Amino acid sequence: MNTAIEKARAIITGYRGPKIRIMEVCGTHTHEIFRLGIRSLLPENVELISGPGCPVCVTPVSYIDEAIFLAEERHATICTFGDLVRVPGTAGSLAEARSRGARIQVVYTPLDAVTYAEEHPREEVVFLSVGFETTTPSACLALKRAEAQDIANFSLLTANKTMPAAYEAMASHTDAYLYPGHVCAITGTSLPESLTQQGISGAVAGFTASELLTALAVILEKSRSGEPFFVNAYPRVVRPAGNPAARALVETYMEPCDAIWRGLGTLKASGLKIRSAFAPRDARVRFSLPSMSGRENPACHCGAILQGLERPVDCPLYGRACTPDHPIGACMVSREGACSAYYLYGGLGRNFA
Amino acid sequence: MTTDDMHSDRDACITLAHGAGGRQTAALIARVFARHFQNPDFTADDAAILPVGSFAAGRAAFTTDGFIVSPWQFPGGNIGKLSICGTVNDLACMGAVPRYLSCAFQIEEGFPLQDLEAIAAAMAKTAKTAGVRIVAGDTKVAGRGQVDKVFITTTGIGECMEGAHPSGSRAEAGDAIIVTGDIGRHGAAILVARRDFAIDAAITSDCAPLAAAVKAMFDAIPDRAAIHTIRDATRGGVGTVLHEIAAESQVGIELNTPAIPVAPEVRGVCGLLGLEPLYLACEGRLVIFAPQAIAPTLVEVLRTLPDSRQAAVIGRVTPDFSGRVVLNTEIGTKPLLPEPSGELLPRIC
Repeated sequence: MNTAIEKARAIITGYRGPKIRIMEVCGTHTHEIFRLGIRSLLPENVELISGPGCPVCVTPVSYIDEAIFLAEERHATICTFGDLVRVPGTAGSLAEARSRGARIQVVYTPLDAVTYAEEHPREEVVFLSVGFETTTPSACLALKRAEAQDIANFSLLTANKTMPAAYEAMASHTDAYLYPGHVCAITGTSLPESLTQQGISGAVAGFTASELLTALAVILEKSRSGEPFFVNAYPRVVRPAGNPAARALVETYMEPCDAIWRGLGTLKASGLKIRSAFAPRDARVRFSLPSMSGRENPACHCGAILQGLERPVDCPLYGRACTPDHPIGACMVSREGACSAYYLYGGLGRNFA
Repeated sequence: MTTDDMHSDRDACITLAHGAGGRQTAALIARVFARHFQNPDFTADDAAILPVGSFAAGRAAFTTDGFIVSPWQFPGGNIGKLSICGTVNDLACMGAVPRYLSCAFQIEEGFPLQDLEAIAAAMAKTAKTAGVRIVAGDTKVAGRGQVDKVFITTTGIGECMEGAHPSGSRAEAGDAIIVTGDIGRHGAAILVARRDFAIDAAITSDCAPLAAAVKAMFDAIPDRAAIHTIRDATRGGVGTVLHEIAAESQVGIELNTPAIPVAPEVRGVCGLLGLEPLYLACEGRLVIFAPQAIAPTLVEVLRTLPDSRQAAVIGRVTPDFSGRVVLNTEIGTKPLLPEPSGELLPRIC
């Protein structure tokens, strides 16, 4: 064990201060925290909450319904990240639509979807654009390429989201945020810094064992004073100004809009949609998509889990009807989802040993 | 087409006639398979006759395996080499010395003859390395689109070594767990070769026959029964094997995470795609369970052989947490290794 890890570990295991809730809002953090068994180090008075940090998990049911409608009623080819294929919509998932004959292509990057469109000029290709500040620039890069090369049969179904509104919406559920390192690398640190004025504390964390433990230790140390604080505990990657080039790219093609978050409802100006100048690239416009309301499985507690109000094990479906092999809620589908992480690393009980 | 012009024509392809059982089939077998697989037991009759009465222990191991890997060739091997390694290694895992193989080909119409030659040549070479004879075979040709290029099924018979009884249910508390080399190479090599992900990495498959390594281990210890379990980590990788053994032997498994050999380039691909190296397929890696006392001897013997130079002890069997696999991490925690779920890559072997 290296000294940085040892030092951070000692601070965490030795914490005897008042009860504190820390919320991670990044799916990769959720996954790494489980994979490394970090929860087993926490004393009783430190609670780690998995917040709305997995883009697949916060995507509303209606979005899946829209994608299935495009595939089955408009005969579009859907290009998507693999996780979304298994997320249940109101009546089934994209995987089920595929088995009925819909064209669903799994891609690794949005640019692969543009390439697919280029190679299949007779198909209408729609990329399912989900994700936070980290992934949105690559979707815009795809748009840029489609524009530059005049690939007319390519459009996006957007459900891109931005974190600021979620930080504010969730503020009463947590005492401090473990801010997402990759998101902050794009946005910079001015927002979390300014949130301290509203009493919202937190530290930016990286993704290695040492970086995660250090950020948690920093939060526990800083919280002793009782004053709101912000610490960039991932300075190796996160600069105060973020990545202005990536933000400019997004601003060229997209503008803020209200967005529905699974579990959180509609948050003002928390999403991104395609600017009207590029309307033909917006699948909702291009295919005159009717508005869809979407209905979640009423027994699924994903909503409460995403807000940190419940733990996955509190959901009656968890581990019984809903497992990674047969997911009912989105949080069990993505490997970054809280339910999936709980289940894979902890089984039915507490995170082991 | 005669045998000669078939050989001379570099653009020659497999046609449905090659699978019709007539003259062209005979020509194909003579030109490609009989020529490469040549050995005294290779039969032109309906079945090979084998002298199994000479098997000293009076026991034979018998197994079969199908191969549908895509792409059919990849850095470090091709489907032919793979089809020999897979069955040879399955036999070796049971403490048997592989003796005889049969192979059945399903070939897509239009498959280039010279590619089939390359596959047969790789099979012959690998069989020779493994000390096994290909004695019987079958060739079918399917119409375009009915088979993806070429599928191969191999079946093998091995001679059980006297006193060797490795089994998935014999792992015991106190056993050391050995892997014969760095893990996940085959899965990573196929991932990169498939070009589904825009990743460039120089990764070669670990595909290799390990019969010699297994025999060397058994020959190095006084009591062959002391090697409790050997398993070939193919689809699902080493992690899946560990879960299987934990369940079959009803024991707990504790891994020493930093001791698990993973090549930097494999770790890099895993980092990019969010994969766990323990769940990437191998095609030339065994997981061995044997008492701590003989583990150093086994590792030492393995390290003298070309395909197991990086053999290492990666963990131990404990009486605690039966049926589970626990990781000892670099931060002093003991999280569970999650059980593999349905997201493994298809068409890997």
